[in-house]
Amino acid sequence: MSLKKLTLLSLFTTISLAVYAIESAVPPLVPIPGIKLGLANIVTLVLLRRFRARDALTVLCCRILLSALLFGQALSLLYSFAGGLASLLVMWLVMKLLQKKWIFLTGAMGGLTHNMGQLLTAWAVTATAGVFAYLPFLVLSGVITGLFTGLCAGFLDKYLKIAQK
Amino acid sequence: MKTQHDSRKAAFLTALFLALVCLASLSYLLLPARGKTEYTADIFQNGILIMSIPLNEETESRTFTIEGENGCVNEIEVRPGSIGILSADCPDKLCVSQGFISDTRLPITCLPNRLVIQLRPVSEAGEDSVVPDTLTY
Repeated sequence: MSLKKLTLLSLFTTISLAVYAIESAVPPLVPIPGIKLGLANIVTLVLLRRFRARDALTVLCCRILLSALLFGQALSLLYSFAGGLASLLVMWLVMKLLQKKWIFLTGAMGGLTHNMGQLLTAWAVTATAGVFAYLPFLVLSGVITGLFTGLCAGFLDKYLKIAQK
Repeated sequence: MKTQHDSRKAAFLTALFLALVCLASLSYLLLPARGKTEYTADIFQNGILIMSIPLNEETESRTFTIEGENGCVNEIEVRPGSIGILSADCPDKLCVSQGFISDTRLPITCLPNRLVIQLRPVSEAGEDSVVPDTLTY
């Protein structure tokens, strides 16, 4: 890994951590657990588009670990990883399929799988099927917030002037 | 040109999939629940279950108030089979305008007073473990 890339990836980790911190300071819009904008996903999307999947993975893992250390509890780490890794995998596949175009679609798929991953984790943690009452809410919010972050990532990608690799 | 065509097709399929999933969720939320008519109302404050009221056991309307930590007050009315918020001291009164609920579709929420009222079918064993609190996310 070149020094330039290392610096860029560190910078992206910092940005996503800052965005994540600001977002968690804002009170939840809907009192349903798991519904939030997921602005840090913008960084993951841009990284997936501009860099390789493993770079996005590195930044994602660093962000999750650091945010859990700074503001979270042990359980939030589990939820973040489940959601983050599931959505990263799907977004990587979808982005390949769409040939890096229509980023908002990739974002929506990512938002959807992020929420599904968290819901499945909640199911595993609480061992109750009752959590699936949230399924329709989480599907809708995942797609809507994913579309939003996807659009943001599209605009950011358009104006971001950094080297391709 | 073939790859161009392929990616367009993939984009269309992705959009179609997302639209279908959203449509299914929306219709589930908007269509009334069939069959079950007996519900238990769970009242959450700050994400913690503070009260469970089996609505099928209520024979006549009664009201009670719940006080929040900042001295916020919600007046709740329980009727046979439904529950709603009569008055609140929050500024927007969104919870009051949500009216009375009698099924599991949409919970009543009062954000300023951090109150959630959610119905669940009586048969389902429900404790506070069913609903993960907001903090764990």
